Amino acid sequence: MTSSLTTIWTLAQKEMRDALRNRWFLLYTAAFAALALAFSWLALAGAGIAGFAGFGRTAASLINLVLLIVPLMALTIGAQSIAAELERGTLSYLLAQPIGRLEVFLGKYLGLALSLLAALALGFGISGLVMVLSGSGAADPGAYVALVVLAFLLGLAMLSVGFLVSALTRKASVAVGIGLFLWLAFVFLGDLGMMGTAVAMKLPIASLFAMSLSNPSQVFKMAAILDINATLDILGPAGMYAVHQYGQGLLAILLGTLALWAIVPGVLAYLRFANRGDL
Amino acid sequence: MIEYSHVTKRFGKFTAVDDLSFAVQPQEALALWGPNGAGKTTAIKCLLGLLRYRGLISVDGMDAGKNGKAVRRLLGYVPQELAFYADMSALDTALFYARLKGVEAGRAQEALQQVGLAEHGDKPVGALSGGMKQRLALGLALLADPPILVLDEPTSNLDAAARELFLAMLRDVKRAGKTVIFTSHRLEEVEALADTVLVMDGGRLTLVCAAAELPDRLGLRSRVKLRLPASQLERALAVLTTAGFTVSRNGVGVLVDVLPDQKAQPIQTLYDADVEVTDFEVL
Amino acid sequence: MLSVLIAATIALFPLAADQPLDLKAALAAAQPGDTIVVPAGRYAGPLVIDTPVTLVGQDYPVIDAGGSGSVITVNAPDVTIRGFEIRGSGASLDREDAGVTGLAPRLTVEDNRLEDVLFGVYLKDAPGSVVRGNTVAGKPLEMGVRGDGLRLWYSAGSLVENNHVSDSRDMIVWYSPDSIIRGNTVERSRYGLHFMVNENVLIEENVLRDNSVGIYLMYGDGYTVRRNLLFDNRGQSGYGLGLKDVDNAVVDGNYFVANRVGVYNDHSPLSPNATTRTENNLFAYNDIALWMLPLVEDNVTAGNVFQENGEQIALAGEGVLRNNLWSEAGRGNYWSDYAGYDADNNGVGDVPYQAQSLFEDLLAKHPELRLFQLSPATDAIDLAARAFPLFQPRPKMTDEHPLMAPPVLPAVPGLTPAPLAANLAASLAMLAAAALILVFAVRRPRRTTG
Repeated sequence: MTSSLTTIWTLAQKEMRDALRNRWFLLYTAAFAALALAFSWLALAGAGIAGFAGFGRTAASLINLVLLIVPLMALTIGAQSIAAELERGTLSYLLAQPIGRLEVFLGKYLGLALSLLAALALGFGISGLVMVLSGSGAADPGAYVALVVLAFLLGLAMLSVGFLVSALTRKASVAVGIGLFLWLAFVFLGDLGMMGTAVAMKLPIASLFAMSLSNPSQVFKMAAILDINATLDILGPAGMYAVHQYGQGLLAILLGTLALWAIVPGVLAYLRFANRGDL
Repeated sequence: MIEYSHVTKRFGKFTAVDDLSFAVQPQEALALWGPNGAGKTTAIKCLLGLLRYRGLISVDGMDAGKNGKAVRRLLGYVPQELAFYADMSALDTALFYARLKGVEAGRAQEALQQVGLAEHGDKPVGALSGGMKQRLALGLALLADPPILVLDEPTSNLDAAARELFLAMLRDVKRAGKTVIFTSHRLEEVEALADTVLVMDGGRLTLVCAAAELPDRLGLRSRVKLRLPASQLERALAVLTTAGFTVSRNGVGVLVDVLPDQKAQPIQTLYDADVEVTDFEVL
Repeated sequence: MLSVLIAATIALFPLAADQPLDLKAALAAAQPGDTIVVPAGRYAGPLVIDTPVTLVGQDYPVIDAGGSGSVITVNAPDVTIRGFEIRGSGASLDREDAGVTGLAPRLTVEDNRLEDVLFGVYLKDAPGSVVRGNTVAGKPLEMGVRGDGLRLWYSAGSLVENNHVSDSRDMIVWYSPDSIIRGNTVERSRYGLHFMVNENVLIEENVLRDNSVGIYLMYGDGYTVRRNLLFDNRGQSGYGLGLKDVDNAVVDGNYFVANRVGVYNDHSPLSPNATTRTENNLFAYNDIALWMLPLVEDNVTAGNVFQENGEQIALAGEGVLRNNLWSEAGRGNYWSDYAGYDADNNGVGDVPYQAQSLFEDLLAKHPELRLFQLSPATDAIDLAARAFPLFQPRPKMTDEHPLMAPPVLPAVPGLTPAPLAANLAASLAMLAAAALILVFAVRRPRRTTG
């Protein structure tokens, strides 16, 4: 057991080191940090008056930013995870060592998850500092920390989807291509499609809300707004319907859905990886 | 020590390994001999747990399919194609695999020393020569001092000098009491290392014999003498060696070992490399 | 004088163990204009006051109705109740159980603590009353079955000042013209202040935070709303300030901060020659700063600061705004998303500010699409509209004279800064976590065993 943990941690550490050398990951992290800084600065710096109350709007900007960048980051590194090593041939050598596939999978997942967490903590930390320096901040800093946790959960969901793509492909370039397409789907096409459907079919708001749960980005967004505002009124009739209909249970529904998005593709990815007989 | 019984591996309709059965005794060195595509590497990958297969492979009484991790603990693996993380240093690579194998970190430096890479620990793996990489692979395989070494075409990517050095190391390892199983299509590897040879063709076992008998059993003593302009001689030796022939110099010509049904192959190889052959003779 | 009176009352009404005074007997015996000083202690309610007297509590004596009916009912005019802890009313909305029910003119309820009461102070046909410096904390009930912290009903010319109401339903001022509502704080309630059919009411320097609706004005003429803080009023149809069918409202110098909607204008002004003036307010960090029905006209909106609202101007329905003034005497408003310039350096932008967004336009027609707010897909829609002007909608409004810098606005009461130290700690902890992971990543494994 201890040796299993050592193995997982050793592999995780290597993944983190690789992430640090991965130019895309670094680029996304830098973009996230820079935009988080810029958004908080623009929202707060000019104002002076009542700037302390700008936390909610700054948080909204950060949610917008997380929606754009975190899926991109997580899907890309997830899609590369297995396929890239398979293509380079390092994976079969690794698997010829006295270690199990579960250990390899968990080590890779843990390493990439921690890399994601570091990127998020960096961006949110910088943004938080800017807020404090402009005399602003959350009335309850716990809500801000919770926002990072939620963003991380979205990252895990997208990472799992990326791993699944990676486990199903042989070439890293194909995996990353599919990952980028899924990013477009989760971040743009899915929402645009739902908007179109809602307008064209005059969907009742209950159906619209139910449909939106199919997109983990939307689920994260609702959970994050619930965390910051305690209501979903910013999301209009459908948001209010959700709060009214599910009340205290809404957060549990959202967190549960997000957790399912992290667990189900992750487990499928592992099963595919574990049973792959063509390495 | 290692026992294959009725091992079959199919890729779709293609049968790569067909009902393969054999056993390797402790401290024995066994070569899987055959041309490319004979199923040698596939047989090795089944042992390593990289491929699913039908049949049973047992190592030290354990089912390799079910107890893969425990079996791999007994194996040190040297792959044919070196695939290391190119930007890690040799020592970091050794430390990384030491931790994965659960041996203490001090073994990493020792293993480098054992394969003559102590001076190169700080170099990135990508900057090492082919011979050094292969020695590094051997060092990594020996990290946990496993009883069995598994090698896949161990010298096929090496030049003559590096091959000589590497085979010498392998002989030392064998003398130290390891069981060795390796794939090869090079006679000199088999002659230098193997006790027993399994000849494979089309995924099937066609012949088992002592290593010393192999050339005669297969009629491998066919030798071709080529005559060339003196200025081309060195180049011809290099080209043929690179192409995998066993070559020696003979006055103004070269002697090449060939399979009985491929006696024109060296001439073709030289022709392709723009080396002129003036005459030939089958000995 | 007072001590003599106390001595007299004590002499008249012998002491009980926990009750140094028989309050009911004292009230029954009091003459109009008497002052009864009530020592600390617990007194059983309900009390009914039928004589114009002044009740003064020492060290907040407790009057407890034990959970039924109103704690104090005032039937006589010119009564003063000061310095009590009033608690334990019934919970019947039908009977309107209250801490203090005033049924006669010129009641003064001052400096009392009202707790565990359904309604707090209920003035019913009690014109000219004063409710000042009380704290009201409602019963811990579901919002729908709570009572109102303060309710003025047909009580013209009253003064409601410096009260603190929390966890109540509404604070209501209905049919009570010429009243002044000043310096009160209402939090965690439904309608912070709800006005219906009043004239010439002054609402100033109140703090309305964490309610569903801060201030809601319904019907009437001549409301003045100034220097109030409306903060974080959210929830179903949550607004900082709602203006429904009111004429000549003046909204001046208020801070609308972090509400769902800063000001919701539902058809105000109503009458042809009336106006609504919205001046010198701060709209900051609201989801929507100004939400207006498209048919709203005759609004003057100038000198305001619109700072980083999710939507600066939103329309409740299809259309564009007409016949409203967005600047006065060549000075408009400050818009934080204004992208123009000021070549002549007069502090006024040289190109108009226009509120224009395809997605916001879609929201007006299809409010259910608000579900997709903050999604990058909505940014993509606006980006596409800017790239292909064919899709660019008509501007909802145009401010011809946008201000380049936010005008300095006087402060309002009730602003409390965020806990900076805790936020700093949280931010530093995040950076430390990132650094820690980085260290793990770059740390080389040990080369030798120790």
